[in-house]
Amino acid sequence: MTFGRLLTLILVFAPLSMMSFGGGQSTIPEMQRQTVSVHGWLSDEEFADVYAIARAAPGPSTLIVALIGWQVAGFAGAVVATLAIFVPSSLFMYWAAAWWLRNELSPLRRAIERGVAPIAVGLVFAGAVIVLRAANAGPLTLATTAAVCVLQSTTRISTYATVGAVAAAYLILFALYQQSV
Amino acid sequence: MPDEIPPAEHARPAVGLGRLWGTFVRIGTVTFGGGMLSWVHREVVERLGWLDEKSFLSGLTVAQVLPGANPVNLALYVGLQLRGAVGAAVAVFGMIVPAFCAMLCLGFLYRSYGRFAIVHFVLAGLAAAGVGATLTMGIRVARRLPRDFVTAVIAVAVFVVVGVLRWPMVPVVAVAVPLSVALAFVTERRGSS
Repeated sequence: MTFGRLLTLILVFAPLSMMSFGGGQSTIPEMQRQTVSVHGWLSDEEFADVYAIARAAPGPSTLIVALIGWQVAGFAGAVVATLAIFVPSSLFMYWAAAWWLRNELSPLRRAIERGVAPIAVGLVFAGAVIVLRAANAGPLTLATTAAVCVLQSTTRISTYATVGAVAAAYLILFALYQQSV
Repeated sequence: MPDEIPPAEHARPAVGLGRLWGTFVRIGTVTFGGGMLSWVHREVVERLGWLDEKSFLSGLTVAQVLPGANPVNLALYVGLQLRGAVGAAVAVFGMIVPAFCAMLCLGFLYRSYGRFAIVHFVLAGLAAAGVGATLTMGIRVARRLPRDFVTAVIAVAVFVVVGVLRWPMVPVVAVAVPLSVALAFVTERRGSS
């Protein structure tokens, strides 16, 4: 029974791993269809909750599969789902990256490098806009985004200091807001 | 784990597996969602100087286009370049294992405390910071693009189609990549002859 569930997790997530061109975000709609409609592992609300946690949690948000796997088959389910989503794409990436590093002077690699760079830039900005829109960004969100962008562009402040400062600022803002109410 | 192993055949800075592991564990546990790639850039290129801008950018490109979580693919590329296959595995597991544990803990905590408004508030702030980091990286990378008309048109077109019009990314990338690479191939040919 458990074995069957674990196998199903692999059969659902391993193909998604190979389809996630452009990053894990692109497979979220299909993941939702599989977990909610096809297999009935989670309700719509539960999926929305799990998605919010994964987006807010540290680390790659593709780890949403760990939470789904946990729901289906406990800890073993979480481990199996995580391996199923990362192993196939990582093997492919390994093969491609090794070719890439071996063929530094190949004209094909130079063309790929030159041709794909503008697409990568377009996708980076598109991703930022999509996240802001999904979060219904208000003035505070936009101000935070702008502040971090300026701070990062003009100083050498570390990642951890930035994250800590933003968390502390939001805690203080929340406390002030509570007092004023 | 010994920290002073000479680097592989590349002329890269000697980076111990322990430091590689530690760096990606920290990036994997402290950074959030979409901002991760830019945090990797900041740590690996700007602060630690392990890779230069050019090889980072080509790794970023490959990591974004190929299937798989972008930050994990990027970790694999950085690890592979610094310490070969072992380095790739160390970087990938460094990125995933602690974040996996954090994810399970958060799932548990969220079930207990998710109803408190302060949790949502702080998480929203961190998400905004992630977007700021993403923009920083985007600006920096955009500055390094070749300055020609075709490159600019492609970058803007991809942004508008995916970011503004919300077309699905997979078919857009599937059409744009071969087209753009073919154009670049012709451009490079013309430039060299």
